[in-house]
Amino acid sequence: MYLYLPVALTSINILIPVGLGLAVGLLSGLFGVGGGFLMTPLLIMFGIPATVAAATDSSQIVAASTSGTYAHWKVGNVDFKMGFHLLIGGFIGGLFGVQAIKILKEMGNADFVIKMTYVLMLGIVGAYMFIESIQSMKKNKVEDAKPEKESGVACLLKSLPLQTHYEKSGVTHSALIPIVFGGFVGVLAAIMGVGGGFLMVPVMVYILRMPMHVVVGTSLFQILFNCIEVTFLQAYTNHTVDFTLAVLLLLGSTVGAQIGTVFGRKLKGEQLKILLAVIVLVVTVKIIFELTMTPALLLSQAGGH
Amino acid sequence: MKRFKIQNSRFKIVGFLSLCCTAALLLYCSSVSAELTINTNHDHISIDFFYNGSAVSVSGLSDAGTDLIIKIAAQDGHEMLKQKGKAAGLLWMNMGTLKFEHAPNLYFIYSTKKVDDILSQEERDKYVIGYPALSKHIEIAPVSSDEERSKWFGEFIRYKEESKLYASSSEQIKTTNGNKRQKYYIKTDWPYQAPPGEYLVTVYAVKDKKIIEKAETKVFVEQVGIIKMLSGMAANNGAMYGIISIVVALGAGFGVGMVFRKGGGAH
Repeated sequence: MYLYLPVALTSINILIPVGLGLAVGLLSGLFGVGGGFLMTPLLIMFGIPATVAAATDSSQIVAASTSGTYAHWKVGNVDFKMGFHLLIGGFIGGLFGVQAIKILKEMGNADFVIKMTYVLMLGIVGAYMFIESIQSMKKNKVEDAKPEKESGVACLLKSLPLQTHYEKSGVTHSALIPIVFGGFVGVLAAIMGVGGGFLMVPVMVYILRMPMHVVVGTSLFQILFNCIEVTFLQAYTNHTVDFTLAVLLLLGSTVGAQIGTVFGRKLKGEQLKILLAVIVLVVTVKIIFELTMTPALLLSQAGGH
Repeated sequence: MKRFKIQNSRFKIVGFLSLCCTAALLLYCSSVSAELTINTNHDHISIDFFYNGSAVSVSGLSDAGTDLIIKIAAQDGHEMLKQKGKAAGLLWMNMGTLKFEHAPNLYFIYSTKKVDDILSQEERDKYVIGYPALSKHIEIAPVSSDEERSKWFGEFIRYKEESKLYASSSEQIKTTNGNKRQKYYIKTDWPYQAPPGEYLVTVYAVKDKKIIEKAETKVFVEQVGIIKMLSGMAANNGAMYGIISIVVALGAGFGVGMVFRKGGGAH
């Protein structure tokens, strides 16, 4: 059955957005990412204008991350204190990121810088997570339960002021660390025009040393707030949120997020990390292909990536 | 008595002359040209919740033996499109924006034979019939040379044809020959990609490489019901629309969460 989308001004078979929502919601519940880096290009592929695809996706992420946060909160996997600190950083970082884009656009060639930043970030994060997960899986097999050595960086982080204990995550850090790194992700996410879940997850795992299951719940919590803000701004300033499309997507994604959470609890932290790393690497390879292969059409609607 | 006879013969002459005139007029009308007519199966297309495009058939009567061209087009507009190019000679990405002026958003050309074979170039350019004529009509900026211009016009046509908004084909119009008149008919797929607006449908009768007659009608495409309400709200009341979108998303997220808890799916 086909439905007409009033803002996208196009018609779509309802199975497509519901199916896409289900798949991306599943990833969201599993890994704590919003999935915008997958959903937006897929929607464009199915004929949705780029600006509408990005804005509407943020609206459905609100639903998926509410569903996911709720499921993770019930099993005690959301660190609200850490989430708030990351949000503060993310908000400040977002403001800087928007200014950075303005400067880039004035300098010219902004698209090139944005695309390159995106590919490099995806590639580095994917490769690092992949290698690290394999190494730690091997280590766990050989020498179980050997305490990790503290690196110089970790010692430096411990010497910072405002040390506080994050109960749910079971870690003690300076409150400045999540704020600064949240800010760093906020800057990059604003420049790249994505939610930044794929960056926030590794920051929480490797820098904040949080357990993987708490990372997923907490990441969804802060994504929820980011996407509420983005949805409102897109609807208010750009008028690009398609309500019908958002509802179709969230029908799938809210259920997908619940299923993802159930699956996630059956997998080990290392397995989750390696799966996310593979997905990030596949997306990186896909973007590299897009950049090097001659595109089918040399013209596209203004406003997209 | 004599006077009456003269009057009677005068009446006869006038009657004879008027009969001759009427016959001559009728003969003239039938031999030179009968009116070209055009009809569409509907002049209003409503975009409702389940809209997935429509079908528009164009039909009418013309003189037997004349070739016909049917043009369906939106009013001229302008379009901004991103152009992809190779950055650093290696990577494909958006390199800038091209502006297409006087470009109709929708443009269909159908003809009984190849347009180039039945119509002179001057006439094609004058009435903007066919892609080469459209190429002269649309302004593209910024382009540095004619070569570049023609490359981007070609890309523009490919982009529009991919979106089903441009089409050009010959020998699709069906004609049924009568004695002196012919019926013509064509059924076209109306794409859901065509936005609300007014579209002009024109039929041209062609003889000796010249347009001898044309007839026009209009098709209106408009949103109705929920679709009209939602698109109106998105455009005019963005804040409320945004808040509703967020509340619905939050409600759906919590709702599904509750359902899963009740169903025991999450535990």
